Amino acid sequence: MSNLNRSSDAPNRHGCTGFRSMMNRRAAIQAGVCGGLGLSLGDMFRLQSQGGDAFSMTQGKTLKDPKALSVIQLHLGGGVPQHESFDPKPESPVEYRGAFGVTKTNTGEIFSENFPATAAVADKLTVIRSMVGKIPDHATATYHLFTGYTPTAVIDFPQMGAIVSHELGKRGELPPYVAIPNNHSFAGGTGFLSSTHGPFELNADPAERNYKVKDFSIPERVSMQRFDRRKTAREIVEQKIRSLEADPTTLDTMDDFYQQAYTLLTSQESQAAFALDGETEETFELYGRDVVGLKGPDNRFHPKGLAEKMIVARRLVESGVRFVTVTYGSWDSHVDVQRDCLDQMPALDHAISGLITDLDRRGLLDTTIFWVTSEFGRTPKINNTSGRDHWARNYSMLVAGGGFSPGLIYGASDSIGGEPARDAVPLENLMHTIYHQLGIDANKELLAFGTRPIEIIKDGKLLKGLLS
Amino acid sequence: MRSLLIGMTGWLIAAAAVTASDQVAEADTPSFRRDVMPVFFRAGCNAGSCHGAASGKDGFMLSLFGYDPKGDYHRTVNEMVGRRVNTAIPEQSLLLLKSTGDVTHTGGKLFDEDSEYYQTLYRWIAAGAPDDSDSVPETVEVILSKQRFLFEEKGAKDRLRVGAVANDGSKRLVTSLARFHSNNESVATIDDNGNVTAVGPGDTYVFARYSRFTIGAEVIVLPPAEGFQWPDPPATNYIDELVFDRLQKLRITPSELCDDETFLRRVTLDLAGRTPTVEEYEAFVNGDRDRTAKIDELLADDEFADLWTALWAEQLRIVGGNYAPAATHVKAAMSFYEWIRKQMRSGRPLNEFVEEMVVASGSNLTNGPANLYTMMVHGPRFEPKAFAADFSQVFLGVQIQCAECHNHPFDRWTQDDYYSFVSFFAGMKRKPGVEPRERRIFYDTSTPPMKHVVDQRPMPARVLGGIEPVSSDGDPRKELARWLTSPDNEMFSRNIANRIWAQLLGTGIVEPVDDIRVSNPPVNGPLLDALSKRLVESGFDLRTLVRDICNSRVYQLSIQPNASNYGDTRQFSHAHLRRLRADVLLDSVATATGMNASFPGFANGTRAINYFPIVGGDTGGPNYGTPFFKTFGRSSRATVCACETNTQPTLSQTLHLAVGETVQKRLWAGGEIKKLVASKDTPEQILDELFVRALSRQPTQDEIAALVEAVGESKNDPSVYEDIFWGLFNSTEFSFNH
Repeated sequence: MSNLNRSSDAPNRHGCTGFRSMMNRRAAIQAGVCGGLGLSLGDMFRLQSQGGDAFSMTQGKTLKDPKALSVIQLHLGGGVPQHESFDPKPESPVEYRGAFGVTKTNTGEIFSENFPATAAVADKLTVIRSMVGKIPDHATATYHLFTGYTPTAVIDFPQMGAIVSHELGKRGELPPYVAIPNNHSFAGGTGFLSSTHGPFELNADPAERNYKVKDFSIPERVSMQRFDRRKTAREIVEQKIRSLEADPTTLDTMDDFYQQAYTLLTSQESQAAFALDGETEETFELYGRDVVGLKGPDNRFHPKGLAEKMIVARRLVESGVRFVTVTYGSWDSHVDVQRDCLDQMPALDHAISGLITDLDRRGLLDTTIFWVTSEFGRTPKINNTSGRDHWARNYSMLVAGGGFSPGLIYGASDSIGGEPARDAVPLENLMHTIYHQLGIDANKELLAFGTRPIEIIKDGKLLKGLLS
Repeated sequence: MRSLLIGMTGWLIAAAAVTASDQVAEADTPSFRRDVMPVFFRAGCNAGSCHGAASGKDGFMLSLFGYDPKGDYHRTVNEMVGRRVNTAIPEQSLLLLKSTGDVTHTGGKLFDEDSEYYQTLYRWIAAGAPDDSDSVPETVEVILSKQRFLFEEKGAKDRLRVGAVANDGSKRLVTSLARFHSNNESVATIDDNGNVTAVGPGDTYVFARYSRFTIGAEVIVLPPAEGFQWPDPPATNYIDELVFDRLQKLRITPSELCDDETFLRRVTLDLAGRTPTVEEYEAFVNGDRDRTAKIDELLADDEFADLWTALWAEQLRIVGGNYAPAATHVKAAMSFYEWIRKQMRSGRPLNEFVEEMVVASGSNLTNGPANLYTMMVHGPRFEPKAFAADFSQVFLGVQIQCAECHNHPFDRWTQDDYYSFVSFFAGMKRKPGVEPRERRIFYDTSTPPMKHVVDQRPMPARVLGGIEPVSSDGDPRKELARWLTSPDNEMFSRNIANRIWAQLLGTGIVEPVDDIRVSNPPVNGPLLDALSKRLVESGFDLRTLVRDICNSRVYQLSIQPNASNYGDTRQFSHAHLRRLRADVLLDSVATATGMNASFPGFANGTRAINYFPIVGGDTGGPNYGTPFFKTFGRSSRATVCACETNTQPTLSQTLHLAVGETVQKRLWAGGEIKKLVASKDTPEQILDELFVRALSRQPTQDEIAALVEAVGESKNDPSVYEDIFWGLFNSTEFSFNH
């Protein structure tokens, strides 16, 4: 927004100020649940702890026939340049097309030369070159991307993952919505839905040598016998407050959380789903574990750690998680877009192609939607610091699996990649279509504050042309 | 006002008797503002989901709920000449064809051709669709035929009628033009014609909206009288009298008084921000168990002041940073925080405390209160609009920001009110000080007032609800502070009283505490009035009000419900389970184990309650400080919203308490468990101490029996008692106040 380009805070190599601080925008999370229509927080809590069922209205019908079971959303925060990725403009002047050439895909189309591995699996994915966002501001656009709504002062909207959790619930032992490694700070939260639908955050990086999900294992010196004794002690102490018969829903909620926690902590399957044990060397290579970009400040090459995150995402989906978000990189290339691409895109290219290949050969691609997102694209013209600035009017997204039409290039941008030339896809339409594939009718209304019906996606349309 | 209402009620009934319908017959040409726009309002045309949306709908835009009559006239009549309004062939006007569904209309059919709405629009168009900019009296008040409905049984019905008073003194019935809603449809519903139906026992409000006014009438639906007998519990003070009076009217029996152990834990958590120590427990339980004396003791302690410093610091969004242009350097944050602490410790009257901040200028590093203007809205520039919205939310509990773009749909605030209020801060500026971290805060008296967004009129500074702008010597903040903190300003005293009540009882009398509006009335109006009055009479003394509340029987009721108050969540007939705030929870773990936390940037042994986030750069939110605070929902200070402090349980919290470091590394209590096991003869004695440490109570016989069995043969093994300690920390009793 207006203060993004303050002269005292010129954008630098690490992105504009707004992006650097990751938190300069109060609007994104303003007001939260406060603007309710006469429903107290106590009421909210009561409604919420009743499993959230009180929040859903059945005006929209839930589809019976889901095509996909899970979503893996790879989010590239900061705004990936469409020119340097999936919508190259080799015939435009150099100040538009940028520094890179193109590579031919196995479907006869072209991608930027930064994506040779992805080009080799182009027959398994869908590229949309005519995405249309709303506001070229990191906070607003990220919130829009994750929730389907731009932020308002009155209603805090739930994230897509929270809605999927609310609508579809758990599949197996694991929480339905997981964020690798964390919930994106601009992305909102559970909004007016219960906090039980929020993302379970790893708070740990799978690429770290001693990777362990935070608070996710019983300490080594505590034997199972001791852990059982602890559980027993809690059950004994819990009896007294139970006997008062005050607020059983809160007590049930707490018991439910403890049962979930015990299961997660003691179930080998659950623990394994978050780990990397048993993955073969070939798999790590497939996802590009050892692929590096440019040398770091220490004049050495460093792996990017994306491969491990993507493998964990795949393992979670295999174990029944409904919605996984993975965040990677820093893409706010106001300065020297070429450098950012050279540094970060090789690992990205391998991770995308690796995940698609791996899901496909495991038979998971049909039921898993892999979605590569960025909050917006970047300006068609290179700026005077060799970078590109924010651009929400036209950008590209990649979707694979889950019934999306493989090998398709959907829509097109104009000759400089600045405006949609045909089949413009507002973000709401794509989100509506993803919900549809999961068996969720995005026209369904959820009740905010117990009284105010809010459509899952407002004014979205099903894009049949994207589906196979 | 009251007498006018009574008079008007009589008039309404008389008028209703004369005309069969509420529509007053009119021979004259309908007026756009007086007759046509209310039809747009009633039919929902200018609602936010239809043409009232910011960009209109399907090419036709109306101002939301009609805040811009001039623009609405232009768009209706002149934007597409002869289409929306066709004065030659009125029935061909799109306005009519669309409303009756005769041509495709996304909003569907709204009314019939024989409805009064159609007739009004038709006659207006047939008369040439005249404009009437200055000639029409403006509605200045809306009144209801009834203030209160009392239903004895489900299914009972009554009717609400709505009248409008214009500034020329004329009155008319507008029931058929008003919109209605109920705040709780499980108690009572209200239909489009104002018919109120009792649904189930409870109390709520039904509202009528007309023009820019929202006005409510209370509805009480009583549970059956059989089996209800008012127990007439003793009242300690005015609080009990008012709450019990309300409960008796609603036929709700309050719970019994909580026991001494529960009281001690509850009041210590609420006033000291932590659980009682073993010593405090022994002193109280083995002493004369004087609750009043305990309250006085806690009020006199610095911990009480520290807790309220933390609550204010959270509201005022204190975060220390290291990015000079944002003016929120950690040194400034410290100076603000310590200034607040000093005021809280010395018992400074709350109105003076606020007044000093409002008028403050000068260095952010040396003049603590001036940081109101750097912290409450973080950013490199001072933003008057954002600041004014947060200011009214914090100090008045009122959210005026809706009125930036349109008149508040559910409250009295207009755009005029909003922009005039923002003008108090229009001239707030900062300039660099003598060192890089310093910013000097001042009011630039040459700054013009804000301009109204619709017509660009300058809007000189005016207090909320005021009629004339304030006169000032250039810096209008002095006038603002005088008005804001005056004993006569009930908005201020009621807001502060309500927040103090909510801190101690868990929910406000108005809830959420920072969303006081006409359509969100107090659940016990006389109680809020009395607390507010008491606050003013005590010279805005925090401790006086807290003392009154804590000494009341209402505060000391048990959580255990009875058959009559089981379902009550809003009338304070029993205590509620309240999850501890993140900082209080952490300090309670520390108190029970004797092992404090440590926080980067703060001295060793600093309590969690005294910690505020310090970040490396910019201080725009969200900033939790530590992962523990994020997990347990301490305010991130990204906004001033009371909802920032989140006490909803989550799975991550459970996992953290179960296996995370906070509890794990403290289970040995720094060696105390080992000592305890060595010094006591029986497991029972050890269990006694563990229970007192964690839960401030003795274990029950059942608990002792079951736990001794769990201990089994290993009664000299400290790790067994650590496991029981774990069970105590992971109990609902520990992480909730009850």
